[in-house]
Amino acid sequence: MVKGRPLLRWAGILLACASISSVCIEARGEGEAAKAPKSGRPDLIKINTLAAFGKLELPPVTFFHDKHTEVLLKEKKNCETCHAVKDSRLSLAYKGTETAKPAQLKDIYHASCIGCHNETAAAGKKTGPLDGFCRSCHDAAPQAAVRLGAGLDKVLHFRHVDAKSIVANPAGKDNCASCHHDYDKKAKKTFYAKGKEDTCRACHGAKPQNGVLSLGQASHQQCVLCHLDLANKGVKQTGPLLCAGCHSASGQTLVAKKNQAAVAKLPNQEVPRLRRGQPDAALITYNPKAESGKDVKPLLMNPVAFDHKAHEKYNNSCRVCHHAGIGSCDKCHTLSGSKKGKFVTFEQAMHLQSSQQSCIGCHAARQAAANCAGCHNRMDKSRRPDDATCQQCHRQLPEGIGARRAALFADPKQKSGVAEAMLKNRNMNPGTYAVGDIPDKVVIKTLSDKYEPVEMNHRGHVQSLMKGMQGNALAEYFHRDPGTICQGCHHHSPPAKQPPGCINCHGKQFAAKESNRPALQAAFHGQCMSCHKDMGLAKPAATACNECHQEKQQ
Amino acid sequence: MLRRTFLGLLGAAGVGAALGKSAHAAGNKQFAGHPGSCGVLFDATRCIGCRRCEAGCNKVNELPAPARPFDDLSVLDVKRRTDAKTYTVVNRYDKLPGAAGPVFRKNQCQHCLEPACASACFVRAFTKTEQGGVVWDGSVCVGCRYCMIACPFDIPTFEYDEPLTPRIMKCTLCQPLIITGKLAVPGCVSACPVEALVYGARADLLRIARERLRALPGRYRNHIYGEQEMGGTSWLYLSGVPFKAIGMREDLGIVPAPEMTSGALGAVPIIAGLWPVLLTGIYAVSKRKDKIAHEEKVMAVSEAVAKAQEKAEANLHRALAKAETEKKSAIEKEVKKALEEAAKAQTQEGE
Repeated sequence: MVKGRPLLRWAGILLACASISSVCIEARGEGEAAKAPKSGRPDLIKINTLAAFGKLELPPVTFFHDKHTEVLLKEKKNCETCHAVKDSRLSLAYKGTETAKPAQLKDIYHASCIGCHNETAAAGKKTGPLDGFCRSCHDAAPQAAVRLGAGLDKVLHFRHVDAKSIVANPAGKDNCASCHHDYDKKAKKTFYAKGKEDTCRACHGAKPQNGVLSLGQASHQQCVLCHLDLANKGVKQTGPLLCAGCHSASGQTLVAKKNQAAVAKLPNQEVPRLRRGQPDAALITYNPKAESGKDVKPLLMNPVAFDHKAHEKYNNSCRVCHHAGIGSCDKCHTLSGSKKGKFVTFEQAMHLQSSQQSCIGCHAARQAAANCAGCHNRMDKSRRPDDATCQQCHRQLPEGIGARRAALFADPKQKSGVAEAMLKNRNMNPGTYAVGDIPDKVVIKTLSDKYEPVEMNHRGHVQSLMKGMQGNALAEYFHRDPGTICQGCHHHSPPAKQPPGCINCHGKQFAAKESNRPALQAAFHGQCMSCHKDMGLAKPAATACNECHQEKQQ
Repeated sequence: MLRRTFLGLLGAAGVGAALGKSAHAAGNKQFAGHPGSCGVLFDATRCIGCRRCEAGCNKVNELPAPARPFDDLSVLDVKRRTDAKTYTVVNRYDKLPGAAGPVFRKNQCQHCLEPACASACFVRAFTKTEQGGVVWDGSVCVGCRYCMIACPFDIPTFEYDEPLTPRIMKCTLCQPLIITGKLAVPGCVSACPVEALVYGARADLLRIARERLRALPGRYRNHIYGEQEMGGTSWLYLSGVPFKAIGMREDLGIVPAPEMTSGALGAVPIIAGLWPVLLTGIYAVSKRKDKIAHEEKVMAVSEAVAKAQEKAEANLHRALAKAETEKKSAIEKEVKKALEEAAKAQTQEGE
């Protein structure tokens, strides 16, 4: 026994190690599994209603909604098999659970689910788990639901506006009232307010709050139930009824295809504007009364005349800019920032490069397109723009109207009138110097030692860049001044018909002490190669020296 | 050895080691490179993979001509490393997420501010020069190749095909050529047609790198490789893709190699120098103690023996003396008795 004791001790230590490591390995494995979904079903619903009342005895139930819907359709049964009808509207909750006490919930689910499965089994048909198969429904390691976000873009919205099958709410002449509503706090009722239609997200947040449904609840009630009503009336073309119709990749492809077909039928393939009474032109300015309620006297920039109508065309939805709701930006983004606007100031809301909702941020993202990237990719993004750049948007107001007065116009029509007038006399044509003033060929020989001088088709470059701008209003507007296009290569010096040569700034040898300015050879190569690369021009390859300069014959 | 002695030794050694370590930690020494030392900044977003740098390096360092010429770009189809005939290589990395085309990366000695090779070399064949380069001195090298194992970038190479005078071969930052005025900038840098490589004071290069990161944040990863890696290197890198994707180690940390080994190596003098003295001393002390004890014991024994003898002798003497007196008194008694008897007989005869 003397020898047996250490042996026992070792065995104990080994056992402890093994059990600890097995627990650790298992925990890690589970974490990894959770990260990678086994397969993505959009219709997977986790039923954990009871979790709100205490710890669950068994894991939540994994329920596949589409699977059940399809079977019911096949059996010629309807949604009322599982959902109650209240005021001739289908309830989204499971039958009987809405008014049930917590203690009853479990029995309701078990009785209804298993009861139905039992009936089906008795009829000799394939069915779901029966009594006793607890873990078939209470799956401890369910696959993750993969639901793609669904939403209305401009075309899908138009298809709803245009749909003849949608019965217009008596409150409005068009289909708008069928979905859009406002809420009367006193009467505790929704009502339709013409011209005040907003995005659903303006009221319906991620979670239900103060009696306001969550976005998910609201959209399922509004969209799916309407689709269902139409289907019950015998309308053939209804929106999706299954989860996968909106939330799966295949469903979204189908919607996109139908969208395309709808656009193809339109005159000019152009989706008509929304009819909400939005202005054609908006004067973007800050209302000094907005912040304190008093008429404070801040010095104001010249307002920006904004082509609202044109931007509606460029973007897929109002929410691209009106991210929190339709309305003036200065409601939340005050001059010095407010909690409501997450302390994003009015200036930042317009200029933040990191945001896709700001003017500059969205414009900067457009510069990533191949036609623009050649010049714009190499431009210093964080430097303060020069005054002329600011004035491209902050233009001079018509005579007799100061920036302050314009900001205080009480009538929005007055504001948009000013903006319209400013936009009307705006030159939208890109231009550069007369062809004769643009050197045709430029011979670069400053550095020629091993190679023959490079003959560069200078005019061709300018013309091809100008051509690349055609049809892009953003590019056209911001390249009106003749020298602007030249600045792509002839940078960091004021625009001029005859800009200074490269050697004025770029010496023969790189000087680390001085600045980040490349020496002449690298300046040439960097400019040419990076532009070609960013514009997606495969030829000439950066390493094909002879395609630009011939080797010198010794 | 006695158990108590052994424990004493152990305690002494522990205190010695602990002292060495805590002194190091409290040092708060940080080497940020020799002031004004030079380096090279490599910008992977600029490199076009033309291999001119390889050719330039080969030429100025008078290295043997490669098997395939430098303008043969199909060499880039396989990943290469530096070898005894190549100080620098460019590798191509295709189909990287986030990159429009292939990304190229030049590799060579990083010229660490605190080189691992130098810390591993026990004959001090490597020197980090004040100019920035890490250079090798063949006159002291014994060819142990510890430097090759120590280098986290796998850079130093060995001339295995040189039986008599093999050398450790690696990029020198063209230090010898620059010091002697033969070159103004390293051969690779002057050969680069797009300034993917720029040479200058490391401090200036860091400023330039930051300037690029500031001006074009979308073009670059917000990291300067080599600013901190392994305590900082003289070569610095900028890239638009993760550095790991272009074959650069991201697991090196920012602690210079010598710092990682100095604790252990710093203990060597203590162990090699102090321990023998300490151990011998303790041994001598314990030995001497034994000896003295032995001597004392011997002395005590002999003293005891002498005392015992003395005592015994005294006893004998006493016994002998007693015997003598007894004998005398017996004789006297006998004589007296005889005399008395004779006198008695005389009187009887006389009656």
